[in-house]
Amino acid sequence: MRVIIAGAGSVGRYMAGQLQDSGHEVTLIDNDPVIVTNGKATRMPVGVTWLLGDACEVPTLMAAGAADADVVAAVTGDDEDNLVVSLLSKQEFAVPRVLARVNNPKNEWMFNDQWGVDVSVSTPHLLTGLVEEAVTVGSFVRLLSLEGGKARLAEVTLAAGSPAVSKEVTELGLPRESTVVAVLRDGHVVVPRGDTVLHEGDEVLVLVTGGVEDDVRRALVG
Amino acid sequence: MVLLRRKNRDEGSPAPTAEPVGTPIAEARPRQQVCVVGKVTRMTARPTSGQPALAVNISDDTGTVTAVWTGRREIGGITLGRRVAITGVPVVHGERLEFTNPGYTLLSR
Repeated sequence: MRVIIAGAGSVGRYMAGQLQDSGHEVTLIDNDPVIVTNGKATRMPVGVTWLLGDACEVPTLMAAGAADADVVAAVTGDDEDNLVVSLLSKQEFAVPRVLARVNNPKNEWMFNDQWGVDVSVSTPHLLTGLVEEAVTVGSFVRLLSLEGGKARLAEVTLAAGSPAVSKEVTELGLPRESTVVAVLRDGHVVVPRGDTVLHEGDEVLVLVTGGVEDDVRRALVG
Repeated sequence: MVLLRRKNRDEGSPAPTAEPVGTPIAEARPRQQVCVVGKVTRMTARPTSGQPALAVNISDDTGTVTAVWTGRREIGGITLGRRVAITGVPVVHGERLEFTNPGYTLLSR
C-alpha cells in the first residue's frame, strides 16, 4: 500500500520504518529541513521517501502522491496541523483511510469524519485506558474506539462475583452487536469459542458496536 | 462591485459568465478531479458525529452524484431544481460517487 506520513518526529519515523519493513511504500513529509536532510543522509528509516514541505498545503500533498495514496497518517505534534492534513487528504484527494494523532485529549472530539479523520489515536487516552486496565478488576474499560466510536474494544477482568464466571461464552447472553474476541488467561491468549468456559481472573476482550455497552457490562460485570 | 453591476445592468450588457464545461456524470471516475454539471434532485440533512452536514444529489442525463458539505445545514442558492457545477475529487459511496466539500458554481436555469 502507498502510505503518506505527515510529521517526521519520533512517532512518524518509527511508523515509517515499521510500515516500510512490512512492505509498504512510505513517503514521510516534514517541514524541518534539518530533519529531512538528516533523514536523507542517514537513510533512516531504510527505503522511505523523504519530502521537505508543509503537509498542510495541497501542493505538498500532491507532490507526496496523495492522489493515489491508500493511507494518510497525520502524526505531527500539533493537533491543528493534523486536522488540516486530514481534511485536505479527504476533501482534495479522497484518500480512503485517514489516521490522525491526537496530542491534547481536549481536542479529541474534533477528530471525526467532519474533519476527514477515519481513525484517531490519542496516546493519553490509550494510556489512561491501559492504566485503568492494569489497576481495575471487575469493571468495564474501553481500550480503543474504531470507526469514530461506532465500534469499541473493551476489556473486563472477571471478578469473583461476576455473573460470567463458570459460564460458557454462548450462555453469557451477549447482545448480537457484541462479541468476545479474546480471553487472556494466565499469560496465554485463549481464542474464544462458544463452549469456552470463563474463569475468575480472565481478562475478556469484547468488541462492542452500537449502544449495547450497558448490556455487555451487565453480562460480564453484573 | 454593486455599482459596477448596476452599471452593467443599465447598459443591458449582462456580466460575462463563464459556463463551466462539465464531464458527463457517467464518465466521472473515483479519485479523479472532475467537474460535473447537473440539477439538484434531492437535498437531505445528514448529521455526522453530532454535527450538521448537507447532502445534495445532482443529476444529469447520465447519472447522479452526491455532494456533501460538512458543517452546513443549507447553502444559499442551492435549492431543488437548481443547475450547479460541482468540482472536486469523488469517492465511491454506496452505489454512486460522492464529493466531500466540493467547489460549486450556481448556474442559470
